[in-house]
Amino acid sequence: MKRLVILGAAVAGLTGIAAHAEVSDAVIKNAFAPYEKSTPTAPGYQPGMRITAKNVDALEGILDPFTFRYVKKGWFEIPTTPTFSLPQHPNYIEATRKSAGKVKLSPEGMLVDFDAGRPFPQEPDAKDPQAGLKLMWNFQRSINAGDSETINPFWWTFRNTKTGQSERQIRFDWHFLNWKHRTIFDPKPDITPNPGQIFRSISATVLEPFDLANTQLLIWRYENDLQRDDGWLYLGFQRRVRRLAVGQITDAFLGTDAMIEDFEGYNGRLSDYTWTYKGTQNVLMPYEKHNELPELDVEPKGDADGFRFVKFGGQGNCFPQVTWQLRKSYIIEGKPKDPNHPLSRRVIYMDSESATLPIVTQYDRKGQPWKYFPICKSHADHHLAKNKGVGVAIDDCALFFDEQAMHCTTLQFKSYVNPQENPPSIFTVQKMRATGR
Amino acid sequence: MRLIRIPLAASHCSILLGLALCIGLSTPAYAVWNSADGSLEVRGFVDNMTNVRDEVGLTKQRLQGQLELFKQAQPRGIFSDLSVGATFRLSYDAVYDMNDDEYGRKAGGPLSYSAPGNPAFFSYINGFAPPFTPPTNLVYAGTFGPDGTGADGAIPLPGTGGTINSPGNPNDGLRFAAGDIYSYQDGGVMLATPVRPCDTDNRGCLKDYMDKDRDELRYKEINDDLDFIRELWVAGTIPMGTGDDELAIRLGRQQVVWGRTDLFRVLDIVNPMDFSRENLYAEFEDSRIPQAMINLEYRMGATKSLEDLNFQLIYKVESFRPHDLGQGGEPYAILGAGNLFRALANCWDNGCTVGNFPATGVAVDFPSHSIGIRDVNEPDHSEFGGRIEGVYKGVGFSLNAMYFYSQFPTLRGGIPTDDPFTPGVENVPHPYDIAFDVEFPRLFMVGGSADWYWERARTSFRVETSYTTDEGFADTSKPNLYSESDVFRGVIGFDRPTFIPFLNKDRAFLISAQMFYQHLMDYESYLVNSAGIDLPPGPHTGRIGFQDWEDNVLLTLLIQGNYMNDRLTPQIITAYDTRAGAGAIAPSVEYKPDNNWVFKLGLNLKWANHKGAVEADDNRSANPFPPATCAPDIALGPDPTPCLTAYSSLGLSGFEPLGRFRSGPLGTARNEDEIQFTIRYQF
Repeated sequence: MKRLVILGAAVAGLTGIAAHAEVSDAVIKNAFAPYEKSTPTAPGYQPGMRITAKNVDALEGILDPFTFRYVKKGWFEIPTTPTFSLPQHPNYIEATRKSAGKVKLSPEGMLVDFDAGRPFPQEPDAKDPQAGLKLMWNFQRSINAGDSETINPFWWTFRNTKTGQSERQIRFDWHFLNWKHRTIFDPKPDITPNPGQIFRSISATVLEPFDLANTQLLIWRYENDLQRDDGWLYLGFQRRVRRLAVGQITDAFLGTDAMIEDFEGYNGRLSDYTWTYKGTQNVLMPYEKHNELPELDVEPKGDADGFRFVKFGGQGNCFPQVTWQLRKSYIIEGKPKDPNHPLSRRVIYMDSESATLPIVTQYDRKGQPWKYFPICKSHADHHLAKNKGVGVAIDDCALFFDEQAMHCTTLQFKSYVNPQENPPSIFTVQKMRATGR
Repeated sequence: MRLIRIPLAASHCSILLGLALCIGLSTPAYAVWNSADGSLEVRGFVDNMTNVRDEVGLTKQRLQGQLELFKQAQPRGIFSDLSVGATFRLSYDAVYDMNDDEYGRKAGGPLSYSAPGNPAFFSYINGFAPPFTPPTNLVYAGTFGPDGTGADGAIPLPGTGGTINSPGNPNDGLRFAAGDIYSYQDGGVMLATPVRPCDTDNRGCLKDYMDKDRDELRYKEINDDLDFIRELWVAGTIPMGTGDDELAIRLGRQQVVWGRTDLFRVLDIVNPMDFSRENLYAEFEDSRIPQAMINLEYRMGATKSLEDLNFQLIYKVESFRPHDLGQGGEPYAILGAGNLFRALANCWDNGCTVGNFPATGVAVDFPSHSIGIRDVNEPDHSEFGGRIEGVYKGVGFSLNAMYFYSQFPTLRGGIPTDDPFTPGVENVPHPYDIAFDVEFPRLFMVGGSADWYWERARTSFRVETSYTTDEGFADTSKPNLYSESDVFRGVIGFDRPTFIPFLNKDRAFLISAQMFYQHLMDYESYLVNSAGIDLPPGPHTGRIGFQDWEDNVLLTLLIQGNYMNDRLTPQIITAYDTRAGAGAIAPSVEYKPDNNWVFKLGLNLKWANHKGAVEADDNRSANPFPPATCAPDIALGPDPTPCLTAYSSLGLSGFEPLGRFRSGPLGTARNEDEIQFTIRYQF
């Protein structure tokens, strides 16, 4: 009799877990189709209007403080468009539906019982002390770059914001690969073997200028967020791979205005920060349709596909000339746990639909505004033809702006989500050495 | 430090800089050129390097151009990836024209040995009668003096026939072989080396080893080895099986880099080095001598237990090439070995005068074929090796093995020579005679390396070890004056990006340090020589046997900062040899105003605790030609019997010739303080 009770309890438990694993359609629709029935509005704001120094005061409520300040100073103007959806890949949404209901956080803040998709698609609860962390997990497990993405060429330009002088330009070739929780490309859900339990790999190669050419960066991010990344740097002038001291991710990357920690909005361990959900707000974000942008850059030219990059202009030619739109945003404040961290906090405006981080603002240790990091995202169907239907918001441009130094690094992307150019074999130390010249 | 001749150098420099600028400015302002389809990539640079050495003047005025091509071909047949790469380099070093009285056709001059006389020795050597006939012809090497004391001048040994003079061996175009290192204040052996290019003066030029003519010095890459083709290879990848395994093949002239160290090499032994470029201080990328090889890699990627695994086999197709140590008369010649070799080779071919021999204050003329370097024997057999490399639990590792030839030369005695004290030609081996062939012994090396990151220290570490069998070392206790020894080498190093907020709050400084250790496994040292004679203690006597250190530790430190978004890069590199008590420090600043221009200004300063020399047994007290070379103390002592047979050194010490190996590359360059300026246009 006792055995039957135990068996019954086990069955009930399993059933309960199975039933609890799925999340409702309402949650899914709210998370992945927020603009199906209506688009955000705000007093004084009309999609299509151009926000300038003259009219920005009335729109302060839908701009992050940094953007507002820069527009107010006349450093750049914002053309706007109606809000449109950036549909996420149906497999990712389905994976979320199937498994998000059972996902929990461990006492250390790690994901428990996570399979794939968005871990916490539910609306954040301001009363939940872990709401900020859950939102950041949504970003960490988002399809920010699909299961795998190539950015080539990827132009980083150093500019003096006061004068507009272009000081230096680096051409990269970047690759991203998710080893686990894959939903789009085979193999799914994981690439095996993966004895180190790598979650994600990033590979970057400098193509020019000559003094940096062949410099390669390889980063392995592990499934266990408490485990520090491993990183290697191949130096062309040494022709050898150096182990990176990856703990120092607050160092400026190759002289740019970005820290390694800044890549993709946030590139560190979640456990390095304390994350606080600060509310939900409709905010203007640089989300656009690349092929419908009013103006694209004529430089750098010579792309084999005839692709033209996002143009930068405004003060010092630092600001992306793209259209913005009003979108539902979660505001997250991150405070680094390391007392020696150069930031006192970073305030992130997360896009609710894609869980990506289109606007990141940073404050120095004195609490003064320091750096501004908008990332433009293009609708995949209005970018390169090969991106059509990939279900990923395509990285299109970015800005790292140090307002204290009045210096910026502008990023122009040619991104395409694809598995062919991102096999696991290119994310190895050996490949760095073999392809290094 | 005094820097002289800068105005002269600068005036010449401006011409070349102007040329470089013109070339640069005429180039379109694209950083890299790509073909329309992106498959062909062309890039390169033109630069000019000007180095000025304290007390010497211009040591480098090099205009250099490098062109790199890479063609990505379409996959074909079994290959999933095909590519071709090439690197071409040409340079012209004007130092041989602009400072030709130091390094060109007018370099060197006549020499006079400081030989004030040693009456006791002269008296002894000639049976307590007046010495040999004083030399009278001042034109030829070996006829130095008299200086007015009446008992000086070189002693023309009988084998010379009274003099070593000949039209082919004039007392001109010479320098003391260690004269740029120390002033012989220790009374050590003095050798004269010809220093002019080998087409101007072929004395002491070792065929196919150290025999560069003026054009080969000026246009370094234009030679019989076609060094202007730095690299030329074709590479292909063949997918293996159904997984991600692949076989990668690279055929052609290339650089294969092993190991994880900077400045000094432990595992990085596949390609020889060109130390004549800038001694230790050129980037390895530029100073490695590429060779044609078959390079096979089987890449497995991640396996069940390893995050990454790779097998590599290499086989050298191109014939053996040793390190280029720099020949006698070149401004950059590591260990001063080029001077020593050329001096000894001239001694063999033409005879020579040796100062402070056999005792301080005496100079002796040796006939040809009695001492010196006779020949160079370069091997012509295969060199091959392999490596297993991977990552396990985040720790990168490698296991390496190589069957190869020493790229450093070994001087092997025991060759047939003539007794200089007899007029006839014997052509028989004389034990302990300093007459050598240059050999490059067959070696086998096994080793390994690892690197890892330690989170608590926010530091990455690396270790590297190697064990090499049968390396050759000078050994004054052996009749052939060399021994073989296994050698253990190890290094531990770390890299730590460190914020120094008061210097730069935004950018970390890279602090990188290394400690190298070397141990000679078969080191031998004696206080009794081969005749059973106790070696007398004293400042100028010492042990016989190995003259290299049994154990040695070298330390290096790099501190590098970055300002102006990494466009301004100050750095300090320093190295210290603990046994030699010698070090170098090289502060520099590099500025990149844009993608195309690079300016670099640096100092390269050396110091040594010793005032001039690290002493070593110089073998001059050995008795290779009994009884003539028997020490007077023994010959006139109660038991002169040992004089009748050859015996090894009594440990008399000086810098020349073996002290240079104890001083190491840092100590021998102790007088080579330099200011260096490079301007580069890259595209």
